[in-house]
Amino acid sequence: MPVISLKDIKKIYTLGDNEVHALRGISLDIEAGEFVSIVGPSGSGKSTMMHILGCLDRPTSGQYCLDDKDVSSLSGDELADIRNKRIGFVFQGFNLLPRTTAAENVEIPLLYSRPVMGATERHERAMKALEVVGLGDRAEHGSNQLSGGQQQRVAIARALVNTPSLILADEPTGNLDTKTSIDVMHVLQDLRERLGITIVLITHEPEIAAYGTRIITVRDGAILSDEANVPHEGLAEPVAAQMLG
Amino acid sequence: MIALRHHLTLAVQGLKRNRVQAMLAMLGMMIGVGALVTSLALGQGAKEALDEQLRAAGANLLLVTAGNYKPNTEQYLNMDATGHGIGWLDLPQSLPDLVPGIRSDDAIARMESVAFSAEEATPYVLSMDELPTLPAVYRANARDKMFRQIHFEDDPMAVHKHPTAAQRLGDAAAGLGSAATLTREDAREIARIPGVQYVVSGVHENQRLHVQDSDAVWFTRLHGTEADLPEIRSGWTFPHGRFLSEAEVEDGAQVAVLGKVVADKLFGKDVNPVGETVVLWNQPFTVIGVVGSRSWAAQPTPGDDQFDAFYVPVTAIHKLLNLSKLNSIAVTTVSVDQTTQVSKAITELLRKRHEIGDAMPDDFKVESVAQQVLGKGLAPSVARVVSGNMRSVDKMTVANLSNSLKRTNRTIVALLAGVATVSLLVGGVGVMNLLLLSVTQRTREVGLRMALGAKPGDIAGQFLFEAILLSLIGGVAGIALGIAASGSLQRLFQWSAVISPLAAFIALVVAVVLGAVFGVYPALRASHLNPIEALHYD
Repeated sequence: MPVISLKDIKKIYTLGDNEVHALRGISLDIEAGEFVSIVGPSGSGKSTMMHILGCLDRPTSGQYCLDDKDVSSLSGDELADIRNKRIGFVFQGFNLLPRTTAAENVEIPLLYSRPVMGATERHERAMKALEVVGLGDRAEHGSNQLSGGQQQRVAIARALVNTPSLILADEPTGNLDTKTSIDVMHVLQDLRERLGITIVLITHEPEIAAYGTRIITVRDGAILSDEANVPHEGLAEPVAAQMLG
Repeated sequence: MIALRHHLTLAVQGLKRNRVQAMLAMLGMMIGVGALVTSLALGQGAKEALDEQLRAAGANLLLVTAGNYKPNTEQYLNMDATGHGIGWLDLPQSLPDLVPGIRSDDAIARMESVAFSAEEATPYVLSMDELPTLPAVYRANARDKMFRQIHFEDDPMAVHKHPTAAQRLGDAAAGLGSAATLTREDAREIARIPGVQYVVSGVHENQRLHVQDSDAVWFTRLHGTEADLPEIRSGWTFPHGRFLSEAEVEDGAQVAVLGKVVADKLFGKDVNPVGETVVLWNQPFTVIGVVGSRSWAAQPTPGDDQFDAFYVPVTAIHKLLNLSKLNSIAVTTVSVDQTTQVSKAITELLRKRHEIGDAMPDDFKVESVAQQVLGKGLAPSVARVVSGNMRSVDKMTVANLSNSLKRTNRTIVALLAGVATVSLLVGGVGVMNLLLLSVTQRTREVGLRMALGAKPGDIAGQFLFEAILLSLIGGVAGIALGIAASGSLQRLFQWSAVISPLAAFIALVVAVVLGAVFGVYPALRASHLNPIEALHYD
């Protein structure tokens, strides 16, 4: 059973009199435990795809099943619940709240979970997620006291905290230098290998895409190629040992 | 409940991250609530001060004073013609006008020995054959049992030669005025009139008071009085000791309560003189208390009648001077409306007790203190302003004076409340402004929260709770500000300000409701943001 199943997804934006066809009928299945890299130049429709996959936007037509549930016709509140429970987001800009500790940032998705969770449980789960990304000792640091790589790892912990079926990473290394990028990619790889979390990575960099087990190339709103990949191990020291040890 | 805590957690986090703006918005709210609390306090203070002044001015107080100095020579001369009575005039030359052929001195001497029988329409004359030739003068009074002397005094200090002069001279020598006709028995009878609350007999004089074995001396006002006087003087407090007790008045004990001014002059400022001995008429009086004013409107000042004065049992004066007369009887009625009715009843009672014939004027005066104030204290123009558009100040009663003052007061309170409402609205707009700004500044945060699973309701709730929290904290601070402000106004300008807990609570509720109302728009705006656009907002 695929985690994600897209059937002929189309997205058309209307800008004045012009219709922009962002997605022109995308169909694909992603199985549990896959690390899928979606590559494509800007304007290729990969961001639109990301928004639809992340339940931030609805397709104009087509069917999107997440965990076997058709989410293409859900209401705003229902989509919010899906985003909260099933999807973990990792953004290019980290999007941590300023003047807030790492732990508090990680707790945010838990604040919107139903049933409502007590403060103690929220904190415990945030700590666990931070330990997974190797930042257990930085929990009480303010988000602005952390380096870029650490910030992105906090963001990954935040994506993890509600045990989603899917982590959507939108250009997660876009703001990072090469070495830190490799670190972050290793963290993501590790999550897939150790915790079996499905990862969808969106990037325009082939080197980053190469960390996936499957690479889908998108161009002009359609899939250009979709092929399996032997994940790139990278040059940096594996961080998994210190992270999970 | 948990959901509420959840919203509260989010709101607290939101405010913490935007401290400076939150402080500014709170400041706005604080000033608004502070202004509201202050104006309510001033309004309440004005109301209480007004009530106090009305009470202090004796809205329900009637003063019965001995003697009646109003009728003048002309009235006397008219009296015969209108059959209104017979009288006495200390102008010897005017008698011969009435009684041809009789020298005034003779007439005085003779008339003093005139008596009338109760039954007869014609007067019974003891020793004067000439007098029956004056029927017009006393015929009108023949219905009365007794011929009573009435002396019309243009000058209260004048010494009179009529039969009661000896008594009056005694009173006068004791300093009790020349026409003390009231007795404690009168007072006791007045107390039986329905509608009367307190009755206090009084003897008033200026006296030197000095401290035993000391040079300290003060020329001040002596009030012989009774234990109920503090009930009439609602604005009194006793910084030291107490007032006279019933037993002390009953026994004529030699105890004294000093007015604040007297105590300060004789013993030093704020020194407790209770237990000390003061000397009046070479008699020792033990100080048992000091009386001061609770009212800002009547602070003890040298020369005033209440606090530059001392109080001893009226019975002690009577005992020491071997007297029985009073200068005044103070009477309060249960309600202000009853003053007129009770005043009439007192007049009837005293006329009967003093055996004053229908045709004769009163030998006492019943006045409400408010009438006295209106008559003397307030310029008619001022009184007219106070009373609004009433036709005549003279016809003003205590009740409608009080009503018109209350109306004036309501207007002032409404004005203050209006000003406060405007400042509260400004505070509310400040909160809204902060939140709108905050929504714009925090667009990315809103987008992020939505991406992480926040529903529009969560976002709206957060901003709304932030608004309420801001208003609440600002409101509480505003109450503190209001208390401080009204306290300072009271100290600096002697304005009367009274903060009622209800007023503070109302101000807080108004602030919170306003905050919520002004928070709705920003909250809705935040919740309607598109998460994708919000996430990419710079």
